[in-house]
Amino acid sequence: MAAVVTPLDQPSNYKDSQARVDRQKQHDLLQKSTTLYIGNLSFYTTEEQIHDVFSKCANPEDGGGVKRIIMGLDRHTRTPCGFCFVEFYTHAEALASMRYVSGTKLDERIIRCDLDLGYREGRQFGRGKSGGQVRDEHRQDYDPGRGGWGAQAQKLEIERRRQVEERYADVEVGGPVAAGGEEWKQIHAVPVESPLKRGRSPDVEDDSSRQRARVDEDTGRM
Amino acid sequence: MSYERHGGGFSGGGRRRRRDDYDNYEHRREAQESPDQKLKAAIIKFGEVDAEQELPQLAAKLHSQELSSVPAIAEGFRLAVTEQPYKIPSYAALLYDLSIPANNMNHAVGGEDDEPAGFTKPSLGRLILDDFWKGFQAYLDKLAWRETRLCIHFFAHLTVTNLISPQSMLGLLQSFTAVLDEFGVSNGRAKRAARCAVEGLMRACALFLACYSAGRVLKEHSASAVIEMIASVQAYNDSVVAAKWLVHPLANLQFPKIPVDHADEILDCAVAALKTLDLSDFVDVSSIFPQPYASMSTSTIVPFDLPSVLVPPEVIELEVLSTESSGDAPIKKEEWPEYMLSLFDNDVTPDPKSPAGYAVRSDIIDIVEIFEVNRKECARILVEYPKWSVKGTFKPRPGDPTDSPDRIPLLGRDWQLESTLIETILGAQFLLPESPAKPIYYTALITELCKLSPPTVGPAVGKSIRKLYAYCADGLDPEVLRRFAEWFSVHMSNFGFQWVWKEWVPDLALPAQHPKRIFAHRALELEVRLSYYDRVLKTLPQQFQEPSAGAMPDQAPGPTYEYEDPSSPHYDAAQGVLNQLRSRTKPEDVLVYLDTLKNTLSETADVSDDPDTVVRSVTIQSLLHIGARSFSHFLNAVERYLIVLRALSGSPEAKIHVLELVSSFWQRSRQMVGIVFDKLMQYQIVEPADVVAWVFAHNAGGLNWDLLRGAIDKANGRVVVARRRVATLRKEDDDAHARAKANANGGADAAAMEVDAETMHDPQVTQSEDSPQLVSALKAYAAVTREQKSTLARVLEGFIHALRSSSDTARRVITADAWDGHASWTDEEWVAWRTWMWYKHFCRVYSPYLRSFVTTLTVVSFSSLETATDDAAVLLKRIWRMSTGQE
Repeated sequence: MAAVVTPLDQPSNYKDSQARVDRQKQHDLLQKSTTLYIGNLSFYTTEEQIHDVFSKCANPEDGGGVKRIIMGLDRHTRTPCGFCFVEFYTHAEALASMRYVSGTKLDERIIRCDLDLGYREGRQFGRGKSGGQVRDEHRQDYDPGRGGWGAQAQKLEIERRRQVEERYADVEVGGPVAAGGEEWKQIHAVPVESPLKRGRSPDVEDDSSRQRARVDEDTGRM
Repeated sequence: MSYERHGGGFSGGGRRRRRDDYDNYEHRREAQESPDQKLKAAIIKFGEVDAEQELPQLAAKLHSQELSSVPAIAEGFRLAVTEQPYKIPSYAALLYDLSIPANNMNHAVGGEDDEPAGFTKPSLGRLILDDFWKGFQAYLDKLAWRETRLCIHFFAHLTVTNLISPQSMLGLLQSFTAVLDEFGVSNGRAKRAARCAVEGLMRACALFLACYSAGRVLKEHSASAVIEMIASVQAYNDSVVAAKWLVHPLANLQFPKIPVDHADEILDCAVAALKTLDLSDFVDVSSIFPQPYASMSTSTIVPFDLPSVLVPPEVIELEVLSTESSGDAPIKKEEWPEYMLSLFDNDVTPDPKSPAGYAVRSDIIDIVEIFEVNRKECARILVEYPKWSVKGTFKPRPGDPTDSPDRIPLLGRDWQLESTLIETILGAQFLLPESPAKPIYYTALITELCKLSPPTVGPAVGKSIRKLYAYCADGLDPEVLRRFAEWFSVHMSNFGFQWVWKEWVPDLALPAQHPKRIFAHRALELEVRLSYYDRVLKTLPQQFQEPSAGAMPDQAPGPTYEYEDPSSPHYDAAQGVLNQLRSRTKPEDVLVYLDTLKNTLSETADVSDDPDTVVRSVTIQSLLHIGARSFSHFLNAVERYLIVLRALSGSPEAKIHVLELVSSFWQRSRQMVGIVFDKLMQYQIVEPADVVAWVFAHNAGGLNWDLLRGAIDKANGRVVVARRRVATLRKEDDDAHARAKANANGGADAAAMEVDAETMHDPQVTQSEDSPQLVSALKAYAAVTREQKSTLARVLEGFIHALRSSSDTARRVITADAWDGHASWTDEEWVAWRTWMWYKHFCRVYSPYLRSFVTTLTVVSFSSLETATDDAAVLLKRIWRMSTGQE
């Protein structure tokens, strides 16, 4: 039926950048691949959730089924870092997943599937500098399902937080609070709370609302 | 129905990148496209904006082509017609235009300039039609039914334009009704052939009869022929009784009673629609099917006579003689009548029994099937469908320019598009015994529709859910209920789990086994699988959250390790084994350890504890315990300790005990029970027949169909794998022999001079010998085939026992009187009823497998019922015979 529309089960531009086989060979492998790369997972999504979705594309009566799932892990922390490989027994099941599951939600995130050359030892680990996936290295948005800020942004964030936390560490309970100098004139008396509030917590609300906005935006990201 | 607005969210950064690549790809492709490909693409895209305006331009372009392009143009027409059925009338108009002599004066295509006098060049249209016909013949030869049928749509429109002669069209359609009279014609073949004839008649019939009223001789013949054809389809349709009862989504256990409402069968609809048209002398046709060619200039064209055809026999039907025991017969499906559930009133969505309703329904079904490869495009095309139908068929969208207050809708139409789409898609998804595509396809398609137009599709989905939920109480087939819950959960998972559970709170008072309760329980269980317990819990009203309500468990799914508590019996033994497994002790050493443990136990433990049983329990549970962290952990544990598992599950009783331990360890996660059972069968720790036995031993609270199905599918799947392996090895063998033979012959020529021929290797001998791999593959194949047969026999035995021997209730619920009182049924009655319905489903869905062993299974499983005449025995036998084609 490819004359009118492009089928969704075609290999995309996804590739394993470290694969050591030539293009033709890669093409041939993908033509009978039983393995899928799954991306944009939440770090919290379990293998059982993944199994449940992908078993809906299985053909057990044809000798198929979910053969195994390899969870992508952070190289350093050995925690899920948002991708996995799903291997079926048959190629048809992998294609069905491309057509029916790729681009739908799992754990309330839109996941992406790609035909994969096949799992090889070592590929379960993130290749980003910080141990996770490369895409999470320089990400500028806040994504609670994927550990918050991107790894680089996270570093800055941690550093900022450390500064914030240290800043007032010397405040004494019940200690003196600066009065702000003499009152200028009775009539122009300014309420004391206002400048204080500002000083204490710089735009807490603004910040969180900004985060929320980013989260919303990101739910739609492929 | 609530939905999420995704809006622009779907185009994130990643998508933009891909779009760029896509564009590049398009560029590349365009650069590589040959003129023929461009021509085909132009034909396929025809009409996307405005067919009427595009026609002259495209026609001119086609006229300017060389004669050698005709095959490419015809191919373009074939692709367009068979993949875009909604545009067929426009293509008929295009071909008509290309056939008008006046338009063919200057075209490049055609004969030489110095043609003899009196010779008329064939028009371009005629040349295309000639070639198109060859393609049609090819579709027919390989029995590509849908393509064949859509070509017939096209021919029917061409007949109305007079490009094709009515008598030859009639002849074509008659060759399809002739199929209905074939001896022993299968349901599937007859259904498809009848649809070809009926849909062709609907479109062309006006013409047949119009000619009749003109009083020409031939037409008199036509009218009677048409009446005959209608009668023939109806007669066939009336003869299908058993199969209809078996697959009706609401038919109960009283054969042959079938509910009149709630579902429509496709051939029933076709016959009803055709008769309605017939009564009105087919005057309505132009208000049902667009006829863009109607306004085009009429001219005298000599009509094309379609050659006569014969619908070839099914390939499989020829092979069916290769019988039972061999198991070689490929599994043939789609043999059933098609009942589509009806979810809306006829003023909201089309009545498929009306001519216009039938036309819309079958168009939508075709689109859904054709575009299965790309659900996103499919959704877009479905939403645009009204563009291709006769104006007034669908209500305009709010805010559409045609949505004026003084608009006069077509009588009996003015349907709501989104409800029509959802009803039709769900109808296909819930077809029994199986949906044409995987159920998840329809789910994903509906998700795409919702994303395209949330405010209009959302409510249609919500209303459908409520209607289906209501049907649950009216005897909705448990298999449909199962798929309904699956669709519901995946849909909710895609739209933030927003469902108004509150409105179903009163139903919590129903018995726990009432279908509505079963649905809610099941739907929530599946939601938790897709998400997590706390997430789902917070979407529910208080009443549903209460564990006592029986809708949600009191805690998240998880393992239950019997030896967690130091005070539990055999805690120390379990700790010992657990430590062995945790420290990854070699399996051989674990076996030694277990032997020692057994000896210790037999000396010290209570006499009531069988040491073997304790060791098995302790070890299996500990293994599951270390594998409980994730699916992969479980697989690793099993693979590492395969020999331990084998040693512990030697006897049939031991295997059942293993299953027992698994189900108790994972009692709070049905998903994990299924996964573990599946892998234990995969690693051949237990056999499918063991799982079947286990399922029937635990059916008091309702038969676990998922586990049963898992076991049967595994048994069947293995045969497929083994057969495939035999085929591959045989081919390799044959190739090797052929090579050896070639080498030997080649060598013989060279060697003949020096060596005596007798000392040479004789290729004939090798040929008859199978390679050792092939021999063992053949053995394995025979073994799994035996296993398959015994699994099926076990299932039948299990059902017969459960439905007749062991339960009075099961014997009682099958009568019409009992069903009349179902509103006050208790759990026990619902469980029994559902077991009956699963039996019915088992027989119909595995019918192809059962048929291939029918003799053996009848002897093995039904001999005890041979003379029995009680209601239960009669129903058991009847369902069996009907499903295996003996009645």
